[in-house]
Amino acid sequence: MSSHREAPAISRDPVADSTDLYAFVSPDDPGTVTIISNYIPLEAPFGGPNFFEFGPDVRYRINIDNDGDGDADIIYEFAFETTVANADSFLYNSGPILSLDSANWNRKQFYSVTRISRGRRQVLAEGLACPPCNIGPLSTPDYDMLASQAIHGLPGGRTVFAGQRAEGFYVDLGSIFDLGNLRPFENLHATFGLPSLAAAPGVNGTDNFSVHSIALKVPKSDLTRNGSNPASASSPDSVVGVWASASRQAAIVREPWSEYVHEAGEWTQVSRLGNPLFNEVLVGMGFKDLWNSLPPSADKRFAGGVQRPELAALLPVLYPGVFPNLAKLTAARADLVAILLTGIPSGLIPGFQNLTGNTLADMLRLNMAIPPASNPSIFGLLGNDLAGFPNGRRVQDDVVAIELRAIAGATYPLVNSSYTPDAAAAAVTDGLTPASVSRGFLSTFPYLGIPQGGYQTAPLGTV
Amino acid sequence: MSESTRRGFVKRSAAAAAGMTVVGALAAEQADAKAAAKSGPVVAYIREPRTGEITVMAGERQVKLEDRKLAARLARAAR
Repeated sequence: MSSHREAPAISRDPVADSTDLYAFVSPDDPGTVTIISNYIPLEAPFGGPNFFEFGPDVRYRINIDNDGDGDADIIYEFAFETTVANADSFLYNSGPILSLDSANWNRKQFYSVTRISRGRRQVLAEGLACPPCNIGPLSTPDYDMLASQAIHGLPGGRTVFAGQRAEGFYVDLGSIFDLGNLRPFENLHATFGLPSLAAAPGVNGTDNFSVHSIALKVPKSDLTRNGSNPASASSPDSVVGVWASASRQAAIVREPWSEYVHEAGEWTQVSRLGNPLFNEVLVGMGFKDLWNSLPPSADKRFAGGVQRPELAALLPVLYPGVFPNLAKLTAARADLVAILLTGIPSGLIPGFQNLTGNTLADMLRLNMAIPPASNPSIFGLLGNDLAGFPNGRRVQDDVVAIELRAIAGATYPLVNSSYTPDAAAAAVTDGLTPASVSRGFLSTFPYLGIPQGGYQTAPLGTV
Repeated sequence: MSESTRRGFVKRSAAAAAGMTVVGALAAEQADAKAAAKSGPVVAYIREPRTGEITVMAGERQVKLEDRKLAARLARAAR
């Protein structure tokens, strides 16, 4: 998945697990940038009675690099607190929740937002209310209203939301994790000598699951190194690198025969996310936990997995005869290094660059001077849409297909014009589109859809 | 001052000084105890006792100190 359960250690710590990161110029408010950082993978909507919530013992951060060194220059930090109104009740709520201050809601969450820049901590707000999880028609009869109450204005023209959202990352998990199978092309899969399969439509494995989102909308000038408003797409000042992180304190002590848990020590990073699928697909199993503990500035040591991705070697084996040119491509993948680790320099794509410099760092790079597309393509740059991934990432971008195609060789001509990609490189997909997300998306902040209610959810079925 | 008187003076002065040291040490211990009480639980982590490096964590603070004897003593206590 994008970054859901992508590393062994974090797969055991869901509330700290960064699942997806989005950063884009807000289409309905183009003077601003929206950044969404998701956590807690695969929330089943009926997962009560202790419904999903942020970790009060986790420090969540959205990090901005605006000078290209792969270290954070601006940090937005989110700290959560849980309150229990009636400790003697086992109930999440004792009646309908009709407002965020409802006395019927037993277990609420509140949070603070702090902006850190040049060592200065500025608390933007405290005591901001999260919405409850979407439980059902009796508990949360007007969930849209509750969710809209949880959109808070912050000083400086900023806006924030933190709470449950519908999962917007569409991917055929069941198929891809079954030995790289892609249902639309599974008739071409090697199948390891097992009976052949017939091509089939993709199945969105995350459909109707939820996540917990931290969504932040800020003026573009809040992110630039000199506080200016980015106007020129060719200016290095218009590009920022973004990544999400989550940290826990270094020590946890549990006392026997007690509910007491003591945490102490410095905050230690346990999860990180820049480009989708980076740690999942390009970092070896034995190094994923290490990767999660490091800043992007330390990513030079992982460059080998980008230059020679394991998946690029597997595709011609899994799909015999489909990727003959890719099979012969043995050079280091400078295209992938540019897309994922340095940004794309000027001169490769007309009117576009998102280069941050020579430092190899996995960051979601956004050229903020590129305006929102009037007719967006879910394939982003590969669809000639300069406002889409890998120029930042919008909620509807098909990052699975874009990255599959890039790894399959579709982007290699950017650095070697003599290379001809295989025809399949421009067509490979898991067969899904934004229409595969049943809950849909919003056209306004926070853009991800209203989460599915628990009552309204049927258990998983069979394809 | 006679020799015996001088010895007695030195002895009494030494005793007084020692007393002051004890009082001072007790006061310091009490101050330390009060400060420790304010800091809440303290966690000490010794990754490798042979190095004597002890990481001490309280609240969000974390400091490293090197004390081979203390590290060895703590390691022995845990065996």
